[in-house]
Amino acid sequence: MTHLLDVRDLVVHYGTVTAVDGVSLTLEPGETLALDGPSGCGKSTTALAVLQLRRPDAGEVRFEGVELTSLTERELRPLRPRMQPVFQDPYGSLNPRHRIRDAVAEPLKVQGRWTEADGPTRVAELLDRVGLAPSYGARRPHELSGGQCQRAGIARALASDPRLLVLDEPVSALDPSVRAGVLNLLADLQDDLGLGYLFICHDRAVVRHFADRVVEMRDGRLVT
Amino acid sequence: MRFTAAGFTRAVSLLAVVATVGLLPWLSGRDPALTVLRARSAEQEPTQEALDAVRRDLGLDAGPLSLLGSWAAGLVRGDLGTSWVSGTDVLPSVTAGLQVSLALMGAALGVAVLLAVVLVAPVLVRGRASAGAGAAMLAAVPEFLLATVGLLVCGVWLGWLPTSGWQGPASMVLPAVALGVPAGGLLGRLVADALPAVLEERWVELWRGAGVSRARISAAALRRVLPPLVPQFGMAAVGLTGGAVAVETVFAVPGIGRTALGAAKSQDLPLLQGSVLALLLLGLVAGALAALVRRRLLGPALRDASLALPPPRPVRTHPAIPLTLAAVLLTTIGWGLLRDPYAVNTAARLASPSWAHPLGTDGLGRDVLARLGHGAAATVGTAAAVCLFSLILSLALGFLPGVAAGAADIANALPPVIVGILVAAAAGPGTGGAALAVGAISWPPLSAHAAALVQEVRASAFLTAQRAIGAPPSWILTRHVLPSVAAPVARHALLRLPGIALALASLGFLGLGAQPPAPEWGLLLDESRAYVERAPWAALAPAIALALLAGLAVSGAAYAQGRRGTVSATARKETPVGVV
Repeated sequence: MTHLLDVRDLVVHYGTVTAVDGVSLTLEPGETLALDGPSGCGKSTTALAVLQLRRPDAGEVRFEGVELTSLTERELRPLRPRMQPVFQDPYGSLNPRHRIRDAVAEPLKVQGRWTEADGPTRVAELLDRVGLAPSYGARRPHELSGGQCQRAGIARALASDPRLLVLDEPVSALDPSVRAGVLNLLADLQDDLGLGYLFICHDRAVVRHFADRVVEMRDGRLVT
Repeated sequence: MRFTAAGFTRAVSLLAVVATVGLLPWLSGRDPALTVLRARSAEQEPTQEALDAVRRDLGLDAGPLSLLGSWAAGLVRGDLGTSWVSGTDVLPSVTAGLQVSLALMGAALGVAVLLAVVLVAPVLVRGRASAGAGAAMLAAVPEFLLATVGLLVCGVWLGWLPTSGWQGPASMVLPAVALGVPAGGLLGRLVADALPAVLEERWVELWRGAGVSRARISAAALRRVLPPLVPQFGMAAVGLTGGAVAVETVFAVPGIGRTALGAAKSQDLPLLQGSVLALLLLGLVAGALAALVRRRLLGPALRDASLALPPPRPVRTHPAIPLTLAAVLLTTIGWGLLRDPYAVNTAARLASPSWAHPLGTDGLGRDVLARLGHGAAATVGTAAAVCLFSLILSLALGFLPGVAAGAADIANALPPVIVGILVAAAAGPGTGGAALAVGAISWPPLSAHAAALVQEVRASAFLTAQRAIGAPPSWILTRHVLPSVAAPVARHALLRLPGIALALASLGFLGLGAQPPAPEWGLLLDESRAYVERAPWAALAPAIALALLAGLAVSGAAYAQGRRGTVSATARKETPVGVV
């Protein structure tokens, strides 16, 4: 059986520093794998390397059975929508000049799935799915709260119809009162859509509550 | 030194500049043999045999590469060639001019330091917030304008000081002041603006608490402020070499700048090559000295940017100031545009201001107001074109910061006047050449700004998200990167417009830009000098217009800076406006 995600011996160097040093992990559809560890241990670099946003220096990343590290940027592009990131900084992950509805519509346009007839309806559905009223579509990021921005970022990720979400500390920049709402939204989406989550977090309470399995990372290596 | 893209382009740019100087006789296109023949004997017919003889004599028939080779070989031996006009060796004229210029620059530097101390003292003694608008204004007034006004007021009206020549200390006063005041305004403003933020750093509080005397804290704060500013001081020294051309011309000082300008006008290319090379050398030596002083002040442990200054607290300018200046200028220009700038009326020559001629008439009886209005199109219109060119260039270079930085170092070391002299020598004086000269060196601050913004956008998470949704690079560039970069850089370019217009006017003033009878502001000021005693208004009108433009440059920039809140890292590379 092929895993949704199968990472083997992943290595990433930054200059002379080895940020990720032989990380291996697997993830199934509908499963949440938490990657826990202190800051600077290579969690976020692992996330970027899995998504091929930072090409790894060695190792394999198999996504739905396809080996990604040997593909060129051009070959990778049609596969990218299937795995989407959600970033820590809710404001920084949206272009401050663009309206929310344009940000959510952008994946549809880039991937050639936008039509004047269906596009706006699809955007409204996505905003509704993440709990944002349609009126928020006309706003820009600085006119939203952090939690609302993070929901918009999740809506943009969903617009690509992904199978895997890589969540890089998605709630650590949010107020504790808002965190629960966003985490519940993520849990609902997983139940409905069967998404696999690679969940990067260093808040033990959140990890224990949210994840099916936990692996711990220290100095670029997994601790067992 | 490590091999870097910046180092490589710096070397290439420097070589290109020197090669341009060396190739001037070939680049100029016009037949130098004719120039030489005319200069040597006005009566001789320019027959083919005579011209060929001159060409063989000069080695002009050998082609560009061997020309460059023999010039470079001569340079290495210390032989700068022979003047085409006088037939004498170039080297003695260059060294004689250099001695005069160095004395003048030394005196100007003294004036500059004195003025800087006067500007900085209130900040240290009374804790004022900054040197204020006055210093900024002084820094923005171009040397040629200050020189002309100084000549008019102190030399002609009051008759206190000699106005031309180079005999004794008295004749040094006016040129040194004209050259030193803009530089001093700049130095004083840089230090005075940086000091208040430094005096609020934690160590000052600690020292005060420990009972350290005020004088010692002031000295330490100065020592803290100076190293990061030293490169800017180097650029002010480069500005002196350009300013020297204008000031020496106005006061008829036999220095290297005036020699270079005269050689360019008489097509005496070997003399021009020698004197421009000397001016470039002065600029580069000043830059190298600045780097050395900075190293000495910082000590061996600290290198670039490791002792950054806290961002200066912006002095907010009320928007009414730039708006009023712009309104006055626009009204004058609009009024003048309705009138005819070329109508010659010999009956009304040098008429004083009246209803028929609100700003009087010039030596040919032409209306000064009309010429001022139509000159704005030539001066400000060309400046707008140069701005647009620098904007496009800097947006392109913003994506290649390594490549741009090296070329920017060289462009920063070249004052517009010297580039203007080179372009005029190669292509003949004209508006296009002046625009090319100013455009070639006005892009570095814009490209540094663009590079900083590109870097900022590239590092942002929303750009990573774009790659994650499978957006191709062209989409990311046109939808995200360019829109984020273009608008702020365009605003920055607009703010530099008055400064660029002043640089163009200074070239016009020196006869390197627009040619008569075109009504260009710098040219207007130059033409009016001939009859300044009888018709001072003809000189005052363009002088005041240029001063208003300088005021607009300063207050507009200050207003924008206040709005931006803090000055980003790009400010390090910024050329101060109006340094010519």
